[in-house]
Amino acid sequence: MTGYLAFEIRRTLRDARFLLFAVALPVGLYLLMADRFDDMGLPASYVMGSVAAFGAVKTALDVGARTAVERGAGWQRQLRLTPLSGVGYLLAKASVAMVVALPPVAGVALVAALVSGVRLSAGGWALAVLGVWAGTVPFALLGLLIGQFATAQNLQAYQGAVVLLLSFLGGLFIPVSTFPQTLATVAKALPSYWLAQIGHATALGQAALVLTVYALVLGAAVAARYRLDTARD
Amino acid sequence: MDIHDGAPALSVAGLRKTYGETRAVDGVDLVVGRGEVVALLGPNGAGKSTTIDMVVGLSRPDAGEIAVSGVSPREAVRRGLVGVLPQEGALLDDVTVRETVALIASLHRTPLPVEEALSRAGVADLADRRAARLSGGQKQRVRFAMALVPGPGLLVLDEPTAAMDVAARRDFWRSMHAFAETGRTVLFSTHYLEEAEAYADRVVLMHAGRVVADGPVSAVMAEVSGRTVTATVPGARAVDLGVLPGVTAAHVRDGRAELHCADSDLALRELLARYPDARDVEVGALGLEDAFLRLTETVEVVR
Repeated sequence: MTGYLAFEIRRTLRDARFLLFAVALPVGLYLLMADRFDDMGLPASYVMGSVAAFGAVKTALDVGARTAVERGAGWQRQLRLTPLSGVGYLLAKASVAMVVALPPVAGVALVAALVSGVRLSAGGWALAVLGVWAGTVPFALLGLLIGQFATAQNLQAYQGAVVLLLSFLGGLFIPVSTFPQTLATVAKALPSYWLAQIGHATALGQAALVLTVYALVLGAAVAARYRLDTARD
Repeated sequence: MDIHDGAPALSVAGLRKTYGETRAVDGVDLVVGRGEVVALLGPNGAGKSTTIDMVVGLSRPDAGEIAVSGVSPREAVRRGLVGVLPQEGALLDDVTVRETVALIASLHRTPLPVEEALSRAGVADLADRRAARLSGGQKQRVRFAMALVPGPGLLVLDEPTAAMDVAARRDFWRSMHAFAETGRTVLFSTHYLEEAEAYADRVVLMHAGRVVADGPVSAVMAEVSGRTVTATVPGARAVDLGVLPGVTAAHVRDGRAELHCADSDLALRELLARYPDARDVEVGALGLEDAFLRLTETVEVVR
């Protein structure tokens, strides 16, 4: 499995356009939003937490969901003719999603520190970067699940809808404190909301718990779907 | 590691697979000895690919036993005992040929050197090219290199030349034979009769999910084809000739009668007894092509 993981990481890291976009999009959003949120009385560190969460969610989902293209092209079938197990393949893909999810989080934090002058303690930075990054696991798994259901043709539509829903309803673009009551309740059911909580350094225990439960449920769903896919043949 | 020295390269018994109402594979038995080059021949829909998918562990049989060098298909894949060129299957567009083959090698315990697999498959000169820039035939040869690189004792090729032009096809079979000569067993499926005839030691003819003939190419030809008796028979009508003992079908064209025979000796005796004027008699074997067409037609009539 490590051989396959190294192969996948090498592949992803030389896709410069994808990586650049993965970092540039959240960094650009951060720069746009920091001013607006400033008018609303929210500090730049708050925007940093929200947008870093967005960058991590989008990138992790993208990598996972792109497995639909490989499945459609027959690559997964080809791999089933090697000693690599299905679990090994899925773990490698989830790991790659995690590797690629780190740069957007770090990029947003870097810009927040350099441009907006955000100052945190060492522990605060560790939480803002590594904490948010670690909390991305359920999104990497959700991406794999989308990859199992989508086809190469409808992937963009699924993927776009899920990213938008998680981002808007999870309060990554608009603070949940401004949501009407019902919508706020919905937000609090979403993993993206809790990932942002880690970015905001609030309700950490609860956020960790919710994200862990999400990771376990999504991991089980991916495994179940994989078993179904191979049993059907 | 327990090497099953005595076990045949492939042993299949009572294999069945049903998709919905369709019996794709309906009781296949097959034993392939080490070093044999066997063609699995049959028209589209005969059950060749379904059989191969089960043999290499891509799908599970509804019933029956499969042993590859004495172990289960999945275990054989895991140990690199079987190399497979599946009919569907793909390359990653953004990865070079060498990287792809090296990846497959890295997943196996005792692979061939990557460069050897590349040159055996005839793609050494394409090694640095990305898959997106390969033609269909080139892709197929890369996938052949991927099948070779585990260094398998058994090579399974599902319609390997489907995407190739004539020249590419000839090169491909030359590579396949060079590999087989290193003592490997090869099982390939095809619906090209010439390929089975030219490149296999033995033909397994499948139709409607069953093996309908199995043996050396010449024997299978004789078995399924029977013989033909042609003669000039003044005044004879096809309907009368068709009911002669030993005859399965008859045509009359330009005064020449052509009799397809299950038993040509019997048919010939009856023909000469009833039509003493018959002359210019020839007895011959049907070509595999004719036999194949006839077999297919017969089964379609039965349906």
